[in-house]
Amino acid sequence: MGLLNPGALYFLAIVPALILAYLARERPRQVTVSSVLAFRALHKMRGERFAGRPRFRWTFFVELLILCLAVLAMANPYIARKRDQVAVVLDNSAPMQARTADGGTRYRAAVAQAKEALADEPGDSAVTVYLTAPTPHPVTGTAASPETAAAALDRAQVSDAPVNPAAFAGLLTQLVTDRHLARIIVASYRTLAPPAPPKVRAIATGSGLPNYAIGSFVLTSGTLGATTVRARLTIANFSSAPATLKAAITADGKPASDAQAVVEPGDVATLEFPNLPLARVYQAQLQPADAFPLDNVAFATAPGARTVAILFVSPMAADGESLKSIPGITVTTRAPAAFTPQDLASADIAIFEYTIPKELPAVNALFVIPPPGDPIFDFLAAPAAQLQVTGWPATDPLTDGVNFRLLNLRSGEYLGEHPWMQAMVSGTQGGLLLVGDRQGHRYAATGFNPFPYLGRQNLPMSILTLNLLSQLTGLGAPTAGFRTGEPWIVPAGVKAITTPTGEHVPVAAGQTFTRTDQQGVHELSGVGEPTLRAVNLGDLATSDLENVPPIKIEAAGSASTAPAPPVATPLTPWLIALIIGLIVLEALFVYRPRVIEAAP
Amino acid sequence: MLGLPEEFTPAFIARLEQLRVKTRREYVGLGKGSHLSPHRGSSLEFSDYRHYALGDDFRYIDWGLYGRTDKLYIKLFKEEEDLLTYIFLDASASMAYPRSDRKFAAAVATALAVAYVALAAGDRVMLRVLGGSGAPAALGFVYGRHRIVDLARTLGALQPAGEVDLGPALARELVSIRRAGKVFVISDFLALLNSVERGLGLFTAANMDVSAVQVLGATELEGQGLSGDVEVIDAESGERVRVSIGQLERAKYRETLLRLSGEIRSFCFRSGLRYALYKTDLSFHDFFLHAATLLGLVH
Repeated sequence: MGLLNPGALYFLAIVPALILAYLARERPRQVTVSSVLAFRALHKMRGERFAGRPRFRWTFFVELLILCLAVLAMANPYIARKRDQVAVVLDNSAPMQARTADGGTRYRAAVAQAKEALADEPGDSAVTVYLTAPTPHPVTGTAASPETAAAALDRAQVSDAPVNPAAFAGLLTQLVTDRHLARIIVASYRTLAPPAPPKVRAIATGSGLPNYAIGSFVLTSGTLGATTVRARLTIANFSSAPATLKAAITADGKPASDAQAVVEPGDVATLEFPNLPLARVYQAQLQPADAFPLDNVAFATAPGARTVAILFVSPMAADGESLKSIPGITVTTRAPAAFTPQDLASADIAIFEYTIPKELPAVNALFVIPPPGDPIFDFLAAPAAQLQVTGWPATDPLTDGVNFRLLNLRSGEYLGEHPWMQAMVSGTQGGLLLVGDRQGHRYAATGFNPFPYLGRQNLPMSILTLNLLSQLTGLGAPTAGFRTGEPWIVPAGVKAITTPTGEHVPVAAGQTFTRTDQQGVHELSGVGEPTLRAVNLGDLATSDLENVPPIKIEAAGSASTAPAPPVATPLTPWLIALIIGLIVLEALFVYRPRVIEAAP
Repeated sequence: MLGLPEEFTPAFIARLEQLRVKTRREYVGLGKGSHLSPHRGSSLEFSDYRHYALGDDFRYIDWGLYGRTDKLYIKLFKEEEDLLTYIFLDASASMAYPRSDRKFAAAVATALAVAYVALAAGDRVMLRVLGGSGAPAALGFVYGRHRIVDLARTLGALQPAGEVDLGPALARELVSIRRAGKVFVISDFLALLNSVERGLGLFTAANMDVSAVQVLGATELEGQGLSGDVEVIDAESGERVRVSIGQLERAKYRETLLRLSGEIRSFCFRSGLRYALYKTDLSFHDFFLHAATLLGLVH
């Protein structure tokens, strides 16, 4: 037994004070008697004889006990028990939905085997259960009993999201290097790369599986006023034999078109559907069916159905007006002096040119050549007559397709080190494009001015501008649609999102929406007509169930096991219950007679 | 009834009518009565002889003695006079406590009962109150049973109060008494023993026939109903004593109080005084009629 807060025991100093007061006694009641002659013969009052035999008054001792218990409760006592610590990692990613030979799924088999493994653990083990999708996360406390952990496994749901192999391996590496963990039960369709650490008990559910999959389902609108849309479907054959794959597309539930292609083993093909009728929701179904039906279906919604609202705050309104030439964008311009935070309510993103707001805007925002020395953003700026780009990431949605060598930036300013924004594009004397997240919003700052938007007349800058706008509006994904497990930024005006299972989730514009682990069509409702957003697995690497790379655990060889640390069971709740019981008991015995006396 | 205590029922009064005060000595009265007096008189009780003198009533010549001695002797007889009865009632504050015991009411009833016995027998009664409030300055002798009503009204207006030191108080009363007689002292005698002895001893030395009635309450004997830590305050002196009272202390208190009572009783027996203890939990009728003999009240 130990104390988490032994300093509280100083309060026990009250106890001797209470006892002293008890020994000193309170003033006794006064009674007039006929004569004190016979009373003189008695001993003096015990209370006046300091440290003499105290009179027994049970309420005093009960209150003394309550005080001691209260002090003990403040000290947070606990009983330390040594319990084996066990981690259960259950892979609930989309491939676990693949059916097994017995008609079940890999996931159900994994849950059953994980529970069997848990049953082999000592009854007092402290178990932590982790799920892997959409990102690895614990679903129980760190000291759950095996029964609680088994119940958590039963409650867990398989996800439509793929697993991030790096995050999965990172979790396992972290668990393996935790010296206090006695055992790690890993239930996944993936195997562990040898040598597996001895304390890892791997449960592999299913081996290589032939699979046909839809990779992407992209709709593009034709010219303005067209009555058809064009669809492009990528399909893949992850089996050992060539297969004729047929894709059928329905528009709002009605058959619209179909196409087929012979796909070689391990190959990817593209199917074009040039003249699909206009509809709100399109669904592609791949045949023949296989053991993993999730990636045989894909959804898409009508393109261009949604516009992006931009608030452009600048002394040069013409720069903002130039953005109106981009399809699907509405622009509201404001002079800096006329700007109020309420203007952001109807905007998806805000652009501040040569100015900066007095507080962090509540939407994603772009700051163009921000003034230095602002106390909120604290930009460090070094003006330059000619900016030179020297560094940019090779693969990033923000710089994708931008030929920086052709980018002529002319004058502007280099942005110095920033507390929470990182330089995405840098120049000779500092950053030229900074990006960062704050309070759930995405912010970017440029040391050059990409405006006015000139379209094809300045193609590198226009592509960079579009990438920036896409990134800030949450449209910067490399694929055309949204993928399961990837969070979004809720567009302006949206107040609720209905998931494919019918769950209604209240949201706020600009918030990050993470409930994206279900494949299907999400309905975004708020101001005006609801909009639809299709979310698909869309990950051919995940769909390749025949060639699943094993998980490599870093530093597996150095993993060792230390004695299990004691698990503390707090006694404070029991003490508080005892205190309440004693108070009630005393109240019953002390106050009940008074109530009876007061009754008529 | 007529201001008398409720204990004075017709049956009880009838029993009182049958009693009379008896003294161990003969006292000079103030008028004719039923008690032998040291004076020579005309009762049937022979007293002495003396030589015949001229003018004596020769009906009282003892002719037998003349035959034997050949001398004339006159037979003298004792006089029968009334008895002077003094009743001293303690009305000090201690008589009011414990209130539940109604000690003072019991003492008043006892005083009136004694007074009635004396008045009914044709004796004179003087009632003196020690302490108290609402009492008349001094009452003289009353005579005749109808005066019991006056005494009852007087005592009915009386409230126990004040501090009374029994020795000096009785000494002061003795000074104001000119003739000896029967004395009843009714008190709780909760005072220092030497004070009580001094007060009662003075009356004995003054040739009085003294009867002491000690009135104690039942609650008073049982620790005055107290328990726990108490600061007791003397009703008369205001002295304060802090005590813790439990079972053992209560027993010791009772033992002490009874010992004090026993010492007063021993003193009375040693000094030729009559003594009776009245515990107020007893029926007044039972007490009085049974204690009558002890107090010198005879049929």
